[in-house]
Amino acid sequence: MLTFVLKRLTFSIPVLLGILVVTFILARAIPGDPCIAVLGERASKEVCESFFRRNGLDQPLPIQFLVYLRNFSQGDLGDSMRFHRPVMELLVERLPTTVELGLSALLFAIIVGVPLGVLSAYRHKSVLDVGTMVGANIGVSMPVFWLGLMLAYLFAVLLKDTPLALPPSGRLTPGANPLPFYEYMGWVAEGEEAAGILIFLSRINTLNAVLTLNGELFVDAIRHLILPAVAVGTIPLAIIARMSRSSVLEVLNQDYVRTARAKGLRERSVVGKHALKNAMLPVITVIGLNFGLVISGAVLTETIFSLTGVGRTLVDSITSRDYTLVQGFTVVIAAGFVIINMVVDIAYGYLDPRIRFN
Amino acid sequence: MANAEPASLTPTDRYRSSNLWLEALRNLFRNPSAILGMGIIGLLVLTAISAPIIATHDPIKTMIGVPGETGRLPSKPPCIPLFGCEEPMHILGLDLNARDLFSRVIYGTRTSLSVGIITISLSIIAGTALGITAGFLGGRVDNVIMRLMDVVLAFPALLLAISIVTILGPGLTNALLGITITFIPQYARLSRASVLSIKEQEFVIAEQALGASPVRIVLGHILPNSITPIVVQGTLGVGTAILDAAALSFLGLGAQPPTPEWGQILSESRNYLFTSPHLVFFPGIAIMITVLGFNLLGDGMRDALDPRLNRN
Repeated sequence: MLTFVLKRLTFSIPVLLGILVVTFILARAIPGDPCIAVLGERASKEVCESFFRRNGLDQPLPIQFLVYLRNFSQGDLGDSMRFHRPVMELLVERLPTTVELGLSALLFAIIVGVPLGVLSAYRHKSVLDVGTMVGANIGVSMPVFWLGLMLAYLFAVLLKDTPLALPPSGRLTPGANPLPFYEYMGWVAEGEEAAGILIFLSRINTLNAVLTLNGELFVDAIRHLILPAVAVGTIPLAIIARMSRSSVLEVLNQDYVRTARAKGLRERSVVGKHALKNAMLPVITVIGLNFGLVISGAVLTETIFSLTGVGRTLVDSITSRDYTLVQGFTVVIAAGFVIINMVVDIAYGYLDPRIRFN
Repeated sequence: MANAEPASLTPTDRYRSSNLWLEALRNLFRNPSAILGMGIIGLLVLTAISAPIIATHDPIKTMIGVPGETGRLPSKPPCIPLFGCEEPMHILGLDLNARDLFSRVIYGTRTSLSVGIITISLSIIAGTALGITAGFLGGRVDNVIMRLMDVVLAFPALLLAISIVTILGPGLTNALLGITITFIPQYARLSRASVLSIKEQEFVIAEQALGASPVRIVLGHILPNSITPIVVQGTLGVGTAILDAAALSFLGLGAQPPTPEWGQILSESRNYLFTSPHLVFFPGIAIMITVLGFNLLGDGMRDALDPRLNRN
């Protein structure tokens, strides 16, 4: 197992390096003069020169890349040209929105998708099965942004005066200013600077609400989360349901399941213990692969629900040529994606020994 | 399967291969989801071709100041003559620039279908070329090509497409290119895998021993034998490509106004969602139906062409 993990780890290193190179080149290839984009049309030649010097843009590209590598390894992603603040700080501030949205979307997809797929396989060709598959086909065909808009219309306009009404934008009711859990617990005095990881965690509203035992805040955060999470989660939900269904169908036809039945095992134990365990392997891979969809979905959904997450910031920064921010955010997203895939592969190897020894 | 061929016929290779295709086609026409998918796509292609006949108006013409037009803006619900709407013509009402929404959605079929099909064709060509080269030559070339594909795959597709389009500049052609690049690795991996499995088979080794050139082996044996999974993946890919193109247009990076493109129409009207939801509703439905058509056909093709998946 250890060799497998190490092999998988070393395999990821060239890909991570590749990501760094590609992002560096992509950010440099964005057309337009960053000086004019940041300082405005009337920036004089001298001002621009000092701007380039300050940002290290006067160095030859290979040197710029080495500097970038060194800083990156120290967790320094540079200063955003647009916000005039460290990119890392912006990331700590905005990544929690995306992480919370992505995780809840995925959770929604798994909680609904897996049982739906398993039940449809178990009741193969029943109304439930056909209905699920028709629904799944429609689900994967819907544009995320359109679904988001339709959900917003349905729950914020049509159901406005019913208990089902849900807010169509933002993360919390305007004016809500939750106390970070580290201040609540007295770890950090009010007004004092907290460590990045604490700020990051405290900005995941649901987690912060749980840690500060604030029920009202929790409900508020969840209510704001439902619509975007359903929008982002629908395509993964459809994919997971389909995968679970076909995987369970395949396993249920295998000899060892028949043997288990022939032994007189109770149906619950045949399905629950024998079939599901093996059927869930491909499903895990599919869940891992869906992280990409979730990120793409988040980029589009954050725009619709006015959430200041990583996706929306990134799209805005591309248009305003904020090199450092684009570079930093893209690298972090892509690296996160590679690491998640690696973890999924390792989990897969752990669950299925055949993978490890191949 | 209803295979009525007499057993005495000893099939030659060619005969057997055409028979396999025929059988696949027969399977395809027996698969309800494939038929539905083909039906949807057929209707869409017809719509795209005959858009000038179906559309009631010029899709980019503003109706303000046109004789007989009120030029009233979208707060009006869709006017469907069938349901007793007096006012002529504007079946789905007017959009924010007083253009006929129905005609825009109809013409949008042309844009979306061509974007989907062109993108996938280009990425199949590029991906297959790369994959076959990698698989056939092996060694260092293989390593470089496939690691490059890994890096492309390491970026979430939409994000990479957004970055590429930002560099090339917004516009439909560049969006098309951006999406094409994100799709290449899939086909490279698929074709490389089939090259690797076919390369070692006896008939290829025999051909090599007879002195056949690599080009002949690739075109004559490897390509025909690896085409099935690529065609299936490609059909499913068209739907995704259409979704991606619509997303880019929605973000303002794809088709530019006044081109009638569904994502672009959505992007124009999204701020009026709460007052004129029909402006958002119909282009979205159009995207969904189109993508659904390709997904259904792709699924049906996979079942028909891949015997390993045939579970009765």
